[in-house]
Amino acid sequence: MNHLLRRLGFYAIAAWVAITINFLLPRLMPGDPATAMFGRMLGQLSPETLQSLRETFGLTSDPLWKQYLGYLQHVLRGDLGISAAYFPTPVTQVIGTGLVWTVLLAGSAVVISFALGTLLGIATAWWRRGTVDAWLPPALTFIGSFPYFWLSMVALYVAGFSLGWFPLGHAYSDELQPAWTFEFLWDVIAHAALPVGSLVLATLGGWVLSMRNTMITVLGSDYVNLARAKGLPPARVVLRYAARDALLPSITSFGMALGFVLGGSLLTEIVFSYPGQGYLLVQAVRSQDYPLMQGIFLCITLAVLAANWCVDLVVLWLDPRIRDSAS
Amino acid sequence: MRGNRCFLVVMLLTVAFASSCSRARKPLPEGVLVVSQEAASAWVRNFNPLTTAAAPRWPTQAGIYEPLFVFNSLTGSKVPWLATRYEWLEGNQLLRIHTRTGVLWSDGKKFSARDVAFTFQLVKRFPGLDRRSVWSFLQSVIAVDDTTVDIRFRRLFIPGFDEVAAQSIVPEHIWKSIPNPVTFTNDQPVATGPFTEVRVFQNQVYEIGRNPHYWQPGRPRFDAIRCPALPGNDRANMALAFDEIDWAGNFVPAIDRVFVKRNPAAHRYWFPLTGTCVFLYANNMRAPYSDVRVRKAISMAIDRQLLVDVALYRYSRPSDATGLSDALSTWRDSSVAATGDWVKHDTKKAAALLDEAGLRLDAQGRRLLANGQPWRCQILVVSGWSDWVRACQVMARDLQALGIDATVRTYDFSAWFQQVQKGDFDLSLGWTFEGPTPYTFYRWLMASETVKPLGQLAVGNWHRYASPAADRLLAEFEGETDPVEQHRLCSELQRVFVKEAPAIPLYPNPSWAEYNVGRFTGFPTPEDPYADPSPNKIDRGEVLLVLTNLAPRKPAP
Repeated sequence: MNHLLRRLGFYAIAAWVAITINFLLPRLMPGDPATAMFGRMLGQLSPETLQSLRETFGLTSDPLWKQYLGYLQHVLRGDLGISAAYFPTPVTQVIGTGLVWTVLLAGSAVVISFALGTLLGIATAWWRRGTVDAWLPPALTFIGSFPYFWLSMVALYVAGFSLGWFPLGHAYSDELQPAWTFEFLWDVIAHAALPVGSLVLATLGGWVLSMRNTMITVLGSDYVNLARAKGLPPARVVLRYAARDALLPSITSFGMALGFVLGGSLLTEIVFSYPGQGYLLVQAVRSQDYPLMQGIFLCITLAVLAANWCVDLVVLWLDPRIRDSAS
Repeated sequence: MRGNRCFLVVMLLTVAFASSCSRARKPLPEGVLVVSQEAASAWVRNFNPLTTAAAPRWPTQAGIYEPLFVFNSLTGSKVPWLATRYEWLEGNQLLRIHTRTGVLWSDGKKFSARDVAFTFQLVKRFPGLDRRSVWSFLQSVIAVDDTTVDIRFRRLFIPGFDEVAAQSIVPEHIWKSIPNPVTFTNDQPVATGPFTEVRVFQNQVYEIGRNPHYWQPGRPRFDAIRCPALPGNDRANMALAFDEIDWAGNFVPAIDRVFVKRNPAAHRYWFPLTGTCVFLYANNMRAPYSDVRVRKAISMAIDRQLLVDVALYRYSRPSDATGLSDALSTWRDSSVAATGDWVKHDTKKAAALLDEAGLRLDAQGRRLLANGQPWRCQILVVSGWSDWVRACQVMARDLQALGIDATVRTYDFSAWFQQVQKGDFDLSLGWTFEGPTPYTFYRWLMASETVKPLGQLAVGNWHRYASPAADRLLAEFEGETDPVEQHRLCSELQRVFVKEAPAIPLYPNPSWAEYNVGRFTGFPTPEDPYADPSPNKIDRGEVLLVLTNLAPRKPAP
């Protein structure tokens, strides 16, 4: 319990530091949302408009500490302000439009990739020096060394354009209304197949390799040999004895990967015009939309921290040594 | 081996899944015009035509809502829209506007002059809505009766008419009870335009159906507008090539190969040169750029034809010395333009002009400033604006041929814009300000009142040039209603510009328009140039001319 509380305190401090940096960074950039908006219109807005824009965005020249206190207050209340690029929509609502789809897309990609990769890692380690072991890990590493958005583009071109197997973009057909029907869910799956598939393909190699390598070490250890010598069935030896131990490093990286879900699939989303959060972030930076930028970064920060917290819990459950030292 | 078998099963499942998804792509619904004008990954609902802060969803300002007069930039004419005519009274200080009768709001209520007066009052009460700054020159706006509005000006300012004419009009019976119209997102617009009924609004697509009470009989001739969310040009260009979009306003590189060749019968484009002119600004607060001979020499050194070929895929042409784009072609005085030889590429003459200005070459072929130092200059440009960056590279090479140590510096937009606004640059690329007459254009190029001291943020006239001759002509233009006199004054303004060369015009920007004539007819074409073809021309209502003219090849089922 003590251990968990200590970790929680650490996360609280990390969150505070992140929020503070989040406040400072955008303000170090030159310009403001009003001039950015003005610039995007390339002379179509009359120069006199600039003042009315500044007024609307409520750009203040308060001292920095005052702005900071106000900012902290609002964050604690869950009020992330009003987006400048999507004025006058609140930031929470803007993020809300994309968050679900990003979590669905990148989240399922990470989970599938982790689960599949770990299983393949276990399998290749158990049947090591077999045919699959000989070519699967190198092939996956080779594919994984391409940038993920490049794989997305190839997948879009081959399976989308040339073969016409999959839809070219978006999260579901334009004709359908979102609803909990079989038709709609199937449509969502069909639209997600290519982007998720390419993300999985790009990251699978890492999971397979790390799991395989730890597994091989663990399979050579004394307690596994003892388990085998006792005549336990192979499945039990592999899964309950060896894999549980070998999973620990993978779980840690899984936590990290989960945390980066919100920012990590940006380019895939753009390639497949997926209505996620990635393009929002690009748009926010381009239009110097501080509230939106801060909102998205806050989401990413909290997601990373939350994922790490979950990893702490899982590791505690998997590894009796930590449990003992913690109590 | 078991591992192998497992793998085989996974492969088979994948193929089975893929083939079950495989199907012929659904054709687009008949009678629905699919448009891509804004880049977005997810739509945010906003149909507020008055707010300055964010662009509302297309075509809120020119399709859902309508202005008093539509400005046709190809013919340079004012098309009566919600207003039928106007007259200047009381020494041109009172503008009387007669509104159209028989116009209904989309909820069936009657439109009247009172809505017009209300809209202007609303804009006055909330300065955040005054995107055209009309209240900087207006005194009062009063509805005299149901069809007449009297707009009193604070001073003699004829060009203000264009700003008044372009104001989107909102219904009083809805907007009078909106507590804060600046932050109002207007989810269900009630308007006078051809398309008002939001039928679908999802994060990746929205659809606006026709106005059941539209005032033009028989128009619009199709059922709805649909806008899919496409993040960025590349994605939209792909959708264009694959017949998923009927109308777009994007920059498409090598368009004949990428777009037209895929389906020559239906894929068309037209890029009239009606955008704003792109300029090279030389900082007039710094030597040697304050010398007119230096500015002209720099201009002569530039190979504009090459610049247009390299930077713009030959979509534009070199600008003449007046800097006017084709949107203002009715105002261009070609005899004045012909006298501007300083836009012709002539390195020898440029070098001679610099020698004359006392900026000579040294023994190593470097050109020296008056203080004996070698002349170095930086051309500022926005990183990522690839056409501009390419243009700057061409110009740097041309300037180096004169012995000037010219380099291109790219900055992120905000950093670039801040330097330009503060006047902290030697040379920089920049846009100009457009209006229905050359008044706005020349005012922001050379009026003394627009000059800000170095270090202060200037919203325009970044090169900080003041021309007393232009000041007099602009002041005269502000009080002139006679078109003949207006044209004479504009010719004079052009003469001043050509003589003084306050800034260096490079090329007029094209207005981007790609369309698919397979499903709809009636787009503006070079053969039928009734309006600007681009969906981007929403600012002064021009899109309305196209929307009310398009017809589907097959009617809606």
